[in-house]
Amino acid sequence: MNKTAYINDRLYELNTGETILSFVKRHMNDKAIPTLCDAPNLDPFGACRVCSVDVAMEAGGKTKTLASCHTPVSENSYIYTDTDNIHRLRKNIIELVLTDHPLDCLTCEVNGNCELQDVAAQVGIRDVRYPAGDNHLHYEKDKSHPYMTSDLSKCINCYRCVRACDEVQGEFILSMSGRGFDSKIIKGLDNSFMDSDCVSCGACAQACPTSAISDVFQSKSVTSAEKTRTICTYCGVGCNLEVSTKNGEILSIQAPYEAEANQGHTCLKGRYAFKFYNHPDRLKSPMIKKNGKLEEVSWEEVYNHLAQKFTSIKKEHGPDAIAGISSARTPNEENYLMQKFMRAVIGTNNIDCCARVCHSPTALGMQRTFGTGAATNSIEDLDHTDCILICGANPTDAHPVTGARIKQTAMKGATLIVIDPRRIELAKYAQHHLQLRPGTNVALLNMMMYYIFSAGLEDKEFLDKRCEDHEMLREKILGLDIDEMEQITGVEKEKVKAAAIAYASANAAMEFHGLGVTEQSQGTFTVMQLADLAMITGNIGKKGAGVNPLRGQNNVQGAADMGAQPHQGAGYHDVTDPILNERYNTFYGTKVPQHIGYKIPEMFNAAINGDLKSMWIIGEDVVQTDPNTNKVMKALSSLDMLVVQELFMTETAKMADVLLPGASFLEKSGTFTNGERRIQKVQQVVEPIKGTKSDGQIIIDVMNRMGYQQPDYTPDGVLAEISQIVPFFAGVTWNNLGENGKQWPVAKDGTDSKMIHIEEFKRGKGKLYYFDFKESPEIEEHGKDYPYIITTNRELEHYNCGAMTRRTGNVELLTEDVLLIHPNDAKANHIEDGDMVCVESPRGKVDIKSFVTNEVKPGILSSTFHFPEVMLNIITSDVTDTEALCPEYKVVSCRIRKSKGKYKSV
Amino acid sequence: MSKNLSELSGRKGVEENLFDKMGKLAIETGAPSEEDLETLANEFLIGKSTAFGTTTFYDFLKPENKGKKAYACNGSACLCAGTQPAVIAQLKTKFKAEEIGHMTCLGRCHENSAFYYNGTNYSGNSIKNIDEIVTNKSQKIDSYHCEAVGNVVLTETYEGLANHYAPFKSALKKDPTKILEEIKTSGIRGRGGAGFPMGSKLEFCKNVDNETKFIICNADEGDPGAYSDRYLLEQRPHSVLFGMMISGYVTGASWGILYIRAEYPESVAIIENAIQELRDADLIGENIDESGFNFDLKVIQAQGSYICGEETALINSIEGQRPEVRVRPPYPAVQGLFNKPTVVNNVETLAAVHFIIKNGGSAYAEIGTGKSTGTKLICLDSFFNRPGVYEIEMGVSLNSVINDLGQGFKEPVKALHIGGPLGGIVPEKKFGDLTIDFESFSTNGFLLGHASVVSIPETFPMIEYLEHLFDFASYESCGKCFPCRLGTKRGQELMTKAITGEHKIDRYLLEDLLHTLEVGSLCAHGGGIPLPIKNTLAYFDDELSDYFAN
Ligand SMILES: Cc1cc2nc3c(=O)[nH]c(=O)nc-3n(C[C@H](O)[C@H](O)[C@H](O)COP(=O)(O)O)c2cc1C
Ligand code: SF4
Ligand code: SF4
Ligand code: SF4
Ligand code: SF4
Ligand code: FES
Repeated sequence: MNKTAYINDRLYELNTGETILSFVKRHMNDKAIPTLCDAPNLDPFGACRVCSVDVAMEAGGKTKTLASCHTPVSENSYIYTDTDNIHRLRKNIIELVLTDHPLDCLTCEVNGNCELQDVAAQVGIRDVRYPAGDNHLHYEKDKSHPYMTSDLSKCINCYRCVRACDEVQGEFILSMSGRGFDSKIIKGLDNSFMDSDCVSCGACAQACPTSAISDVFQSKSVTSAEKTRTICTYCGVGCNLEVSTKNGEILSIQAPYEAEANQGHTCLKGRYAFKFYNHPDRLKSPMIKKNGKLEEVSWEEVYNHLAQKFTSIKKEHGPDAIAGISSARTPNEENYLMQKFMRAVIGTNNIDCCARVCHSPTALGMQRTFGTGAATNSIEDLDHTDCILICGANPTDAHPVTGARIKQTAMKGATLIVIDPRRIELAKYAQHHLQLRPGTNVALLNMMMYYIFSAGLEDKEFLDKRCEDHEMLREKILGLDIDEMEQITGVEKEKVKAAAIAYASANAAMEFHGLGVTEQSQGTFTVMQLADLAMITGNIGKKGAGVNPLRGQNNVQGAADMGAQPHQGAGYHDVTDPILNERYNTFYGTKVPQHIGYKIPEMFNAAINGDLKSMWIIGEDVVQTDPNTNKVMKALSSLDMLVVQELFMTETAKMADVLLPGASFLEKSGTFTNGERRIQKVQQVVEPIKGTKSDGQIIIDVMNRMGYQQPDYTPDGVLAEISQIVPFFAGVTWNNLGENGKQWPVAKDGTDSKMIHIEEFKRGKGKLYYFDFKESPEIEEHGKDYPYIITTNRELEHYNCGAMTRRTGNVELLTEDVLLIHPNDAKANHIEDGDMVCVESPRGKVDIKSFVTNEVKPGILSSTFHFPEVMLNIITSDVTDTEALCPEYKVVSCRIRKSKGKYKSV
Repeated sequence: MSKNLSELSGRKGVEENLFDKMGKLAIETGAPSEEDLETLANEFLIGKSTAFGTTTFYDFLKPENKGKKAYACNGSACLCAGTQPAVIAQLKTKFKAEEIGHMTCLGRCHENSAFYYNGTNYSGNSIKNIDEIVTNKSQKIDSYHCEAVGNVVLTETYEGLANHYAPFKSALKKDPTKILEEIKTSGIRGRGGAGFPMGSKLEFCKNVDNETKFIICNADEGDPGAYSDRYLLEQRPHSVLFGMMISGYVTGASWGILYIRAEYPESVAIIENAIQELRDADLIGENIDESGFNFDLKVIQAQGSYICGEETALINSIEGQRPEVRVRPPYPAVQGLFNKPTVVNNVETLAAVHFIIKNGGSAYAEIGTGKSTGTKLICLDSFFNRPGVYEIEMGVSLNSVINDLGQGFKEPVKALHIGGPLGGIVPEKKFGDLTIDFESFSTNGFLLGHASVVSIPETFPMIEYLEHLFDFASYESCGKCFPCRLGTKRGQELMTKAITGEHKIDRYLLEDLLHTLEVGSLCAHGGGIPLPIKNTLAYFDDELSDYFAN
């Protein structure tokens, strides 16, 4: 018999440990008890007391007034939600609140959507009986920030903002100052939003029940009638967004609390950086280069031109003279169509996507070791882990919502191990920070394994039952010269040992990795070592564990799933396998090639040596973001026809022969697959702005022009096609994705998978590999003459080339790329904070402003490439991962000197 | 109440205490500088707002405290005694007005005229020697009458370290469960105000499985009129420490923290000295007396805030968070300091443990009345002919306290405010009905509390006492819950405006306000303040009726 209790004398079943508030809400309705300080994603706090109810321990017994939000239900108790006593209390509390609140609801931005207004109406307050007294109505508004605003005269001191900043974002920007009646919300040392360290996540604004903390978009105002749920385009976390629109214009964005991917949270990119979508700079017409100048043309003309040119190049040079770069920013459906276009219409496997420059080693490495190139577990597993290992990732900047969640887990007591050359934000919270020299991951992870095997901490049972080549690995690892490894990595071996033991002793340890792992000459090997590490400790197939790549672009998982890569088609089928090739032939109704196509770096080489004649690049600014800018530009200018499909006139778009104005994620529908394999619905919020088309429709139009019958774009239609060819999408339909999507593999009956490789690996047994550390050719060749190492990274405020984020308020928050340099190095080179520094590599040189900090070690520099003013990729190298050809952005030899002004060699 | 901040603060352990550091940073100028706060914030990863927000909460850390040199007491006893205007006038001859702050109750209620200067408390006639005090820091320890009637538990003579701690050493040889049994048998209930059985609290904590646990001694004796804890800290420090050590042994805690109010500078020095004695004698530290039990002690000095006496606020305070009251559950015994199981006990509760361990729980249980066992300290203010600290057995009549111990009043007194600001106001006609124990007070509509006694003389207007109560409640409200943050302020305004004649009190409104405070407040601060006010309204209606509109 289940436990029960009474609500207003009726018996209901109760869940163990549940609060009175949730018990009553569950059985009655959301509004059955008014609340002010309670919020769906915050711990109970007990400040407002309007949630009070009367409780008796026996029928007709003496009642006690208790705050329902933080009082657990007692079994068999009698809860009364609406007694005279309770009415009196609630009404009198609200009356007190109104003695210190402006009575100008009608002109308030949240009029009609204010929780105080609602509760006041609910309790039926009419007038305030107190004589006028002390109040805080004189507080001034804070309008210092491009997004965040505050008007503390409206503040009711519910602490929801403070708690959101603490419990959700983990930033501690907000607190109270003073005490009692004089307590007042502060930012930092009582600064303005702009002068505080606020990261503009907006959690506080969403949490605030009034307009006391809000944002410039007034996201809580109800004048925005329509709401559309969609998915953020800025990273692989896949945050769900609720977008408010009015008359076809986007007003503001909030985060749905019940979204599994982000639970009511976002970062500033998802919530606030949307104003690019109707920025005047948007490309609004197709263009063709005529006499060296891009001229606007009609869609008709551009389609004819494309069809004709592609056909003639194909005829003259063969299909392999054409290549495509699909965009991991765009939905699965569009990626699927683009690879289908290249394979089935052009007849080449020359299709790749920006996964090449980020997580291609992850896909490859995890396929080789486990059989599947995707995260083994889900982000929610953070609630079940007791050790987190982060290798080469800076989640608080690059995957902010996951970063915040990791920080929360670490602050709640889980052990945190950070392997990173930089003292990233999370390193401050870590028990173990292994600050290695860039490019030495393999040596360091070998050290970790050495100490695990030496201490006998490996999971023998798991290894025996589920893995192969265990003895080989063990022998190799134990044969290592640890002192040599210490020398190479620059990390004291005792530190590595402590971290290794912490990782191996945890009940469940969870790995996260990012581009610091993959963008290296030994990137794929490092991924495979991370897999080794998880396998030897039995951290696969259980909650709170696993190998979890933090996927960079929002749909980089999906782009690879859909076959936007030259060696595998949709669903990862090997293009060289004749049986699988036959499947594709039948499905596409045409013959698709059976030899592997060019990867992106190979495309550039082929263009330079004349084998490649045309490229179609969607949503990727390769000039600014691919390494060795001068070489990329040379490659692009060698082509007969460069087709660029873009939102803005990027550095790459400037070089285009044909320019196609695509649509942003807010203007189209489809699905994105996030870093935890979650396929989620992207739903059109507004029509594509005039003159543009959805990228999927553009591809389909060209397909049809070239004689391939492809029905017009609908997200459900293309998804239905995909589900027939991609095995792990078998049970996916547009309708059954629902609000929270599904995590692949999705079985025919629609069952999805939070975790994979549970009983056995996709490939059968997990395969262990051993790799020797090998110095990067960059250091081998240039280390002597160029003694510094610069490593590239990302900042929270900007996204990749910045084409979108630089056209939003974010640019006011972070205005330029800077060079992180250690104080010793700065001093040795007579560089002061803020000086321009000339950074020179064998490829070229750039001028960049210095930021002196001990976030980096001596000898190591770090910077970003968000701004075309710097074009940092002028200096990055051609070295790539030996297996997946992912460029080595993370290890660049260079030298520095103080510079006098700006130098840019393009 | 941030779990994250608790954890972050706890990462540095007890030795590197955040709140302690904040206090040290204020010594020089009266408030930490912004740069210092920023450094602290980075060191503890708590954000600048937390560092700043915390310090602005406390009287002796907030920016407004900068440059304060002398502090005059503004507690209830000094107020009723009417001594403070003269004290302030005298102080003004030496200090600028902005250099004079106030402290609420220095525990000198037996002679009043209390003030604080340069780390030392003064009272009684000292103010006359202000010239001397300012020029050559003369130390004047106060003296007051102290006497026990009946069984002696708390005021027992100290017999030297070795003898005093012999029962501790033998306890270490017994099973902690046995020791706990003795404490439970004694029936001792907490002396800090709530009267919760000490044994049960220890048992809850003992039963939680955790490597790290804490014992906290609540030495924040904030109730104006109370100085019995001060007596124990200064005159019987080893009884208090003994109690903490036994609690540590029973629960498996390895740290004992004494949170001592800033207004008792002498207590801090004396306790620190006593801890050093224990350290020198190897009675604290690792593996005490080869028993395998580790226990250490640390003093943390409070910084001026009444609410920090409330146990969850106190825990937040030690963590360097804003001392706002936490919701319960979780109870401190399960999740307290740094999110670890914690027992908080009052000074007097802990000091009684020595007797219990030495003589057995039943010996203690035999003293006092059925549900209120043992003895109680009671302190009488300067309106009595013989002010001082008295140890009495629970159940003694109030009249005997007034007449036999206090030897009657110096001038006519119309009421006694017993049990601190949240205790009841006992009118003269009820003196004869009460005995000193929890039950007698509560059945008569009062509250024993910590049993401080403040006399309200015939000449003191009750409306002003009401204003004082609301003012105190508002000034000391932590501000977390709506009823108390707003209600105490509005209450004070109603009284002030009634006194000035600006606005007569709407009786229904006041009743609504008291109801809101009483049933709506999160803690006993806002929840308790209506009691003395209702007592006053009930017993002094005649005196007050002019101030009401209806
Ligand atoms: C507003 C307020 C102030 C308090 N002040 C004190 C105090 O100064 N000293 C004290 O021991 N307990 C004080 N308490 C009670 C404590 O919260 C707690 O109950 C007590 O320390 C427990 O110890 P005990 O069980 O030994 O009494 C206060 C409670 C409230 C609500
Ligand atoms: S926007 Fe985010 S970081 Fe900034 S104050 Fe609000 S919750 Fe904190
Ligand atoms: S700013 Fe908003 S959320 Fe924060 S305390 Fe005030 S009313 Fe509550
Ligand atoms: S965390 Fe990633 S998905 Fe979420 S809002 Fe930020 S950029 Fe978008
Ligand atoms: S009753 Fe007063 S002191 Fe207690 S929690 Fe509420 S505001 Fe704070
Ligand atoms: S919702 Fe329960 S106290 Fe505010």
